[in-house]
Amino acid sequence: MAKKSVVILGGGPNRIGQGIEFDYCCVHASMALKEEDYESIMVNCNPETVSTDYDTSTRLYFEPLTIEDVFNIIEYENPLGIIVQFGGQTPLNLAIPLQNRGVKILGTSPDAIDIAEDRERFRVLINKLNIKQSPSGTAISLEQAVTIAQRIGYPVLVRPSYVLGGRAMEIVYDDSGLKEFMEKAIEISEEKPILIDKFLEDAIEIDVDAVCDGKTCIIGGLMEHIEEAGIHSGDSAMVLPAYSLASNIIKEIKEITRKISLTLEVKGLINIQFAVKNKDIYIIEVNPRASRTIPFISKSIGVPLAKLATKIMIGKTLKDLHFTREIIPKYFCVKESVFPFNRFPGVDVILGPEMKSTGEVMGIDTSFEMAYAKSQLAAGQNLPFSGKIFISVKDKDKPVIYSIASQFQKIGFEILTSSGTGQFLKKKGMDVVIIPKIYEGRPNIVDYIKNNEISLIINTPSGKKPRKDIVSIRTIAVERGISLVTTIPGAKATLLAIKKLKEEKVKIKSLQQYYKI
Amino acid sequence: MPKRKDINRILLIGSGPIIIGQACEFDYSGSQACKALREEGYKVILINSNPATIMTDPEMADITYIEPLIPEVVAGIIKKEKPDALLPTMGGQTALNLTVKLSQMGVLTKYKVHLIGANINAIKKAEDRQLFKSAMIDIGLNVPKSGVAYTLEESLKISSEIGFPIILRPSFTLGGTGGAIVYNIDELKESISKAFDLSLNHEILLEQSVIGWKEFELEVMRDKKDNVVIICSIENFDPMGIHTGDSITVAPAQTLTDKEYQNMRDAAIKIIREVGVETGGSNIQFAINPQNGEMVVIEMNPRVSRSSALASKATGFPIAKIAAKLAIGYTLDEIPNDITKKTPACFEPTIDYCVVKIPKFNFEKFPKSKPCLNTSMKSVGEIMSIGRTFKEALQKGIRSLESGYCGLEEKKLNMELESGLKNPIPERLFYIREAFKKGYSINKIYQITFIDPWFLYNLKEIFDTEIEIQKYKNSEIPMELFKKAKEYGFSDKHIAKILGQKEENIYNLRKKYNIKVEYKMVDTCAGEFEAQTPYYYSTYEQNSIIEETK
Repeated sequence: MAKKSVVILGGGPNRIGQGIEFDYCCVHASMALKEEDYESIMVNCNPETVSTDYDTSTRLYFEPLTIEDVFNIIEYENPLGIIVQFGGQTPLNLAIPLQNRGVKILGTSPDAIDIAEDRERFRVLINKLNIKQSPSGTAISLEQAVTIAQRIGYPVLVRPSYVLGGRAMEIVYDDSGLKEFMEKAIEISEEKPILIDKFLEDAIEIDVDAVCDGKTCIIGGLMEHIEEAGIHSGDSAMVLPAYSLASNIIKEIKEITRKISLTLEVKGLINIQFAVKNKDIYIIEVNPRASRTIPFISKSIGVPLAKLATKIMIGKTLKDLHFTREIIPKYFCVKESVFPFNRFPGVDVILGPEMKSTGEVMGIDTSFEMAYAKSQLAAGQNLPFSGKIFISVKDKDKPVIYSIASQFQKIGFEILTSSGTGQFLKKKGMDVVIIPKIYEGRPNIVDYIKNNEISLIINTPSGKKPRKDIVSIRTIAVERGISLVTTIPGAKATLLAIKKLKEEKVKIKSLQQYYKI
Repeated sequence: MPKRKDINRILLIGSGPIIIGQACEFDYSGSQACKALREEGYKVILINSNPATIMTDPEMADITYIEPLIPEVVAGIIKKEKPDALLPTMGGQTALNLTVKLSQMGVLTKYKVHLIGANINAIKKAEDRQLFKSAMIDIGLNVPKSGVAYTLEESLKISSEIGFPIILRPSFTLGGTGGAIVYNIDELKESISKAFDLSLNHEILLEQSVIGWKEFELEVMRDKKDNVVIICSIENFDPMGIHTGDSITVAPAQTLTDKEYQNMRDAAIKIIREVGVETGGSNIQFAINPQNGEMVVIEMNPRVSRSSALASKATGFPIAKIAAKLAIGYTLDEIPNDITKKTPACFEPTIDYCVVKIPKFNFEKFPKSKPCLNTSMKSVGEIMSIGRTFKEALQKGIRSLESGYCGLEEKKLNMELESGLKNPIPERLFYIREAFKKGYSINKIYQITFIDPWFLYNLKEIFDTEIEIQKYKNSEIPMELFKKAKEYGFSDKHIAKILGQKEENIYNLRKKYNIKVEYKMVDTCAGEFEAQTPYYYSTYEQNSIIEETK
């Protein structure tokens, strides 16, 4: 008798937001199926991947990921079911139409996925579980939008409802910003309203990935973002385990994760994003599928989560798989993102709710500072030991920048500033040199950059529309390969990393050795 | 020849984070290399900073380092792990550049690390424009007129010798970063300082523009007994002037005469020998003047590349795996082909289908950037599709892209038709379709785009079929036309759109007419030998042979 077979739908072409991480998960699904003596049937059309290698699966179909092409294969192969959780959004979009044609979706039900993706159904769920969500509303006209925004209070996060992956998402700070957004947004209708959420300023963002067999849920990893909430989770640096959160907050976040997973009867992987502000925990979104961070966590804890999830989908329990306790590493793992700005000259390099990174690196070490330093070096960011730092931050960041700037000064850096930041720091008693911005005289900051006199730039955007001259400072810095930090938490971490690198040498250790710690 | 016994521990360098120009193809090659080397009993020490890779799974290598890919760190690993050999050809430009640095630092000599796969001289000869050019001239091959400059003055002098337009190419960069086409002295002055900055050794090549020429690539492998095989020929649909990573490409080459192809083969074999890639694969790019058939050599990558990943997937021939086996001393005739298990790797793959690669772009993420293609790569991903004909593969490819198109369909154009044709933009295919609609002749479109008339003719056939289908808006599309449309790669959805119907109706009609999709094999040998691990593609032409092997 022929072996039982399972079809895995791959992620299609790489793009920003859907890349190698999903190929990694699909390859693991195939390995897991083979280990359990199933035939694995891969469908994908991306030639760059391991999933389309000839020996990864029992059978490979080099085909487009459309309903027609996939359904033809299913009619031909007649598999036990299909796996849609691993290839990112591509296979998820096919799940419901394929199910409507009678195809069995393995793992978490498409209905549970729909609950997570449908705003109304999701609201009902979290209300039932008594979880906080930042206030929100939907609008189909500017008047409605303004009313909602004024009710929940600026700043607000706005986005069209029909796009995924943070496309066209923006944070707006006032009525005029909102008006501008609404004018730009095309295709607003009853079916496709604009979504408006209260933006939680300066909140800490957290990503949790867990694996669940429908009855038991084990946390794979809890990652604390370095950058504040509002920056796409695919673009933030993250650290595992969390480095600054209070233990009761961590405990509660994990508890909420378990509650949601079990309520949705997740069979496989789930990713939940949280924001913590003033000790309150808010839920941002729930994705009952493999997330971008699965490979990173799997490498951090030494457990192949995607494999476990696959085996759950074909009937195993976490107990069968001997994964019954969360693993919290005794070392720090930092994930940092890598951006393609050097390919798009003139484009502002500020991070926001729309994802822009193409890839990621990982830094591992026994101290957070060194792990972060390694992640920066791996991402191609130079960490200078001395020289001149140019600092220009928005008003709100000025009090915090004082301590960062004075510590940089203490370890031997010279501080150059814009006039606003400089006056503030001078008042505080710091000795800084104020230099002109582009239209303020010469030699200005650009001259300094071009003469290779600047070794690091700390520049936080003002939130509202950035001034053209400030954008060009940032773009020139990127073109010249000068380290640029655009967030306060990023500046703090950079300071810690540089201090650490000045104190001790980079030590290397293999993954296999780390797992023995 | 037996495998090398004088080495035991092999260091493999990965390519680091996914960036434009260097994507997960190097996870594919690194993973294959790991498996191939360990299969032979070698101990593999791996370094890569990218955790999202299969190659960094702890069971892939014996010792895995997820550490920054910088010379000091790799030197530290060499000091600690004492590898006997370093395989630098699997991790893209990152690994090659690191290897050159390590060699310059004296680390390789100090710790007696052999380079396998490619030696420093071969890397330098292939990567250093000047050395490469003189090597080509030595073996009687043409290269575009060019000169190397280190200063603005030198570049001005060279430009007067070559004549505009000129292509600027900084040496030692990724995916053609900083490459630019300049049409006059002002533009040259404007672009040159950036080009100098981007080159690792502050060197740039000024090159005669061969824009509009036809572009080809050959994937070549050589063993230490000097056997050379050609794995695959690839033709760029887009003529010279667009980075090959941003071009639509087709395998095998479609528009060469046999004589031209044989010339190119002979040249490729000469090149890999002259450059001295002793064991492993290389990618060699050529341009051909469509007016007179003149051939020039563009460049060579002495390593596994994006194109070799494509060539591997297009033919079924695992280039990275075989390259790893060649690096440890095997010869092509000694390595069995995994797909047939019967034939050795010295059998050149045979293709009885057509493969199309189309790049995927993300310009919308960078609102201020112009979606215009040039010699600096911009695409973030790609798809490959397989069909019995170019038409079928192309239309399958278009719908694989997930860019909202279900085939070569009607699209709202954002710019004037002529400028959409003239400027290489990601959606040029749809402008060509529009040009047919407006009654442009193939020749007229060729004069604007320089896309080979053979490709345009095929696009025209797709368009003509669309017009035929349109006639049946109010009646049932006849079976013969339906069949033809499916053979030409039309999706149900595309046909439905043309007819203003639901996709479901077309699906039902397809069932009613009993028009069946068939699955054929990618088996490296066009069915000559029985395949053990083939993979499949769908087609609406002829009978299926999958049943026998399933």
